[in-house]
Amino acid sequence: VNDPRVEKLAELIVNYSLELEEGRILRVDTSEVGGPLALGIYRAALEVGAHPYTNVMLDGVAEILLGDGSEEQLEYVSPLQWNEIETIDALVTIWSEANTRALTRVEPDRQARHLAALRKLSNRRWERISNGQMRWCGTLFPTHAHAQEAEMSLEEYEDFVFSACHVDEDDPAAHWRLVAASLAARAEALESVRELRIVGPDTDLRIGVEGRKWLAADGRYNMPDGEVFTSPIETDTEGEIRFSFPAVYHGREVTDVRLRFADGSVTAAEAARGDDYLQSLLGIDEGARVVGEFAFGLNYEIDRWSRNILFDEKIGGTVHLALGSGFPQAGGHNSSGLHWDMICDLRAEGEVYADGELIWKAGRFLAEPAAEVVEHR
Amino acid sequence: VRPGDIVLLSSSPHGAPLIRSLYRRVLAAGGHPHLRVRFDGEAEALLKNGRDDQLEWVNPASAEDVERADVRIAVEADVNTRSLSSVDPARQSLYSRAREAVRDRYFERAAAGELRWVVTLFPTKAAAQDAEMSLRQYEDFVYRAGLLDLDDPIEEWESLGATLRRLSAWLGEKRELRVVAEGTDLTVNVAGRTWIPCDGKENFPDGEVFTGPVESSVEGTVRFSYPANFAGRVVKDVELRFSGGEVVESNASEGEELLHEMLAMDDGARRAGEFAFGLNDAVQEFTGHTLFDEKIGGTMHLALGKSYPESGGVNQSALHWDLVCDLRGESEVYADGELVYRDGRFLEGIV
Repeated sequence: VNDPRVEKLAELIVNYSLELEEGRILRVDTSEVGGPLALGIYRAALEVGAHPYTNVMLDGVAEILLGDGSEEQLEYVSPLQWNEIETIDALVTIWSEANTRALTRVEPDRQARHLAALRKLSNRRWERISNGQMRWCGTLFPTHAHAQEAEMSLEEYEDFVFSACHVDEDDPAAHWRLVAASLAARAEALESVRELRIVGPDTDLRIGVEGRKWLAADGRYNMPDGEVFTSPIETDTEGEIRFSFPAVYHGREVTDVRLRFADGSVTAAEAARGDDYLQSLLGIDEGARVVGEFAFGLNYEIDRWSRNILFDEKIGGTVHLALGSGFPQAGGHNSSGLHWDMICDLRAEGEVYADGELIWKAGRFLAEPAAEVVEHR
Repeated sequence: VRPGDIVLLSSSPHGAPLIRSLYRRVLAAGGHPHLRVRFDGEAEALLKNGRDDQLEWVNPASAEDVERADVRIAVEADVNTRSLSSVDPARQSLYSRAREAVRDRYFERAAAGELRWVVTLFPTKAAAQDAEMSLRQYEDFVYRAGLLDLDDPIEEWESLGATLRRLSAWLGEKRELRVVAEGTDLTVNVAGRTWIPCDGKENFPDGEVFTGPVESSVEGTVRFSYPANFAGRVVKDVELRFSGGEVVESNASEGEELLHEMLAMDDGARRAGEFAFGLNDAVQEFTGHTLFDEKIGGTMHLALGKSYPESGGVNQSALHWDLVCDLRGESEVYADGELVYRDGRFLEGIV
C-alpha cells in the first residue's frame, strides 16, 4: 500500500519546490530504495505535462568504482553527463541509502579524487541554477539505514521526515507558502543588522554581517527546509563557540567541537573525539578556517538531532555555521574545498544579540516581523 | 570492451547483481561504465497516464547515448512481464513510432561497426513464471542456454560461431527458400542478401543465422506454433498469408486485435524484415521469451517490420516483432528446390 504522504511529498516537490511547468525536462536522481518517491515524482511531473525520467544508481556500484577504478576512471566525467546537465530543466536528488556506511572504508584520497572530478559537473549545475536556467531540489526518502542513523525505527523515522516536510497535513504547499513569507520577512529584518553576538554555554561569538544578504531557505532547494542564512564578513568573526551536536563530515563524526576565532579565522580548535580529523579538515586550504555561512534553524517540526545535515541544520532553535566555502548570492566570497556545517543548540539556554539588542532567546526570535504571503515567488 | 569505451549498462533495479558484475568487468577492461537504470513503473505510468505529446517525447539523453556510446549492454530483468498488458496498443504503437529515429540511428551505427551492443536477460521470478518454472529451474535453463555450465564458455561460443559462419556462407549462395510444415508453405527470396551468424555478440544467449528477405518476395502461408509476446501481451496461433511480400491475411486464436494493431503500425509492419533459423541446441524448451525462443535449435522465425541493415534488408518500420515456428515435427526446407533441412535439422554435410 502506498503511503499517501509519499504522494503528497512528490506533488509538493513538483508543484511547489520546482514549480515544474508543461514541456520541461525533469531528471530524478535516486537509489533503487528511493523508488516509491521517485515514481511518485515521475507521476506528479507527468500530471503537469512535463517530461520526467529517472536516473537510478544501484547499490554497490559506487563502491566498485572507488575500489576497482583506475585513476583515469575515477576522474572520468562522461560526455553523457555533461550533455545531460545542459539539457535538463529541473533535477531532483533523492538521498536514500540502503546503507549509509557502505563507503566508510573506501580510501579517502581515492574518494577525494573522484569527488573533485564530479565537482566540475556540479559547478556547472550550480551555474545553471543560479542563472535561472534550471531548478533543483534535494530531498530524502526514509529507509531503515537513515532511521538507524537517527536511532529510530523506520516508522518513527517516516513520521519524523514527513512531519518535517509537513506532508502529513491537508495542504502542504499552503504551509510552505506561509513559511516562505515568514522567512522572507525574517531575512529582510536581518539585512539591517551589522553584528550578531551569540551567547551560550562556552560560547561568546561576534559575527560581522553588515551589507551581507540574508536568504530564506523555504523549500525550493531542499525539502524539508526552514532556515535563514548568510555568508558573514570573512575577516570579522571573533570569540569562541562550542558545538553541542557532533559535527559530521562525509560520514565521520567529530564530537564536542570548540573553536576560537580571531580576525575571521580559526586560531584554536579542539574536539573530544575526532580531533585529528578536525585538524586535517581545517588544514585543507586557507578558506577552511574561515566561516562561509551563518544560519538560524527555524523548522520547529524538526526537534531532534538525526545525524543528517538535511534535517539537523534546520532544527528549530539552533544556529549553525559552516567552515569553508561561502555563498556568492549572499555576498560571501570565501573560497574553499570545504563546506562543513556545525550545529549549536540554543534551545535550553542561549541568546543572540543584534547590534547589542537581544533578538533571540531559548531557541526563538523574540519578535515576528510582519509577513506577506504571495502565491508565486 | 576496449580501453576508453563508453559502455551503457541498461536495466531495471532487478538486474542489479548482473549489472554490478558487468560494471566491475567493464572497469577491468579499461572502459567507462554508465548506468541507465529505470524503474519498471515508469513505462506503466507514462503509457497509461501520459498525454500524446508526452508519449511521443524522446529524451535528448537517449539520442545522445546513441551517438556517443561505444557499447550498450541491455539487461532485461522484469519483475512483472505483464504490467503493461492493459495498455492500449494504439498508445504503445505511438510510443514506439516516436522512438523509431533513435532506434534507426542505433542500428545504423551498429551496422557501421561504431557501436557494439548486446541484449541479455537476468533471471527473475517473473520470467520464470512465464516459462512455467521455478526461479531455480529457470536459472539453470538460462545459464545452460548461455553454455555457461560448460568449462570454457568462450571456447564453446567460438566453436558454435565457426559453424554458424560456415552455414551463413553456404546460405548466402542460395536464392530462394521454401519452408513446408503443418499449416505452413512459405517461400522467401534471399538472393543478394547477407546471412548473419549470431554467435553471442549481440544477443546472449545466441545461436541463429538470419537475413533480411527481399521485401517484395514473401509468398504463401505460415503458422507460428509458439505464442508471440509484444510489450506484455500475448498473441496465440498466429497465421499469416503473404502475397507480393505483404501480409494480406492474418488471424490468431487469441490476441487478434493486438496482431492487427501491430500490422497496422505503419507500411513496413506488414512486411518481413528478418528470416532466421534457430540453432542453439542447448535451448529446447519454449519459455515465452523471444531472446530464448527464437534460438531454439530446430525452429525458424520471421520478424514483421524493420530489417537489420547489415543483412541487406531495407524494410523500414517502428515494429520488429519476432514470430517463432517450431520445425522439429514434420517439416522440410528447400533451397533453390533442393531439400536441405528436415524435421528441425540441416541435412548432414551442409555445415
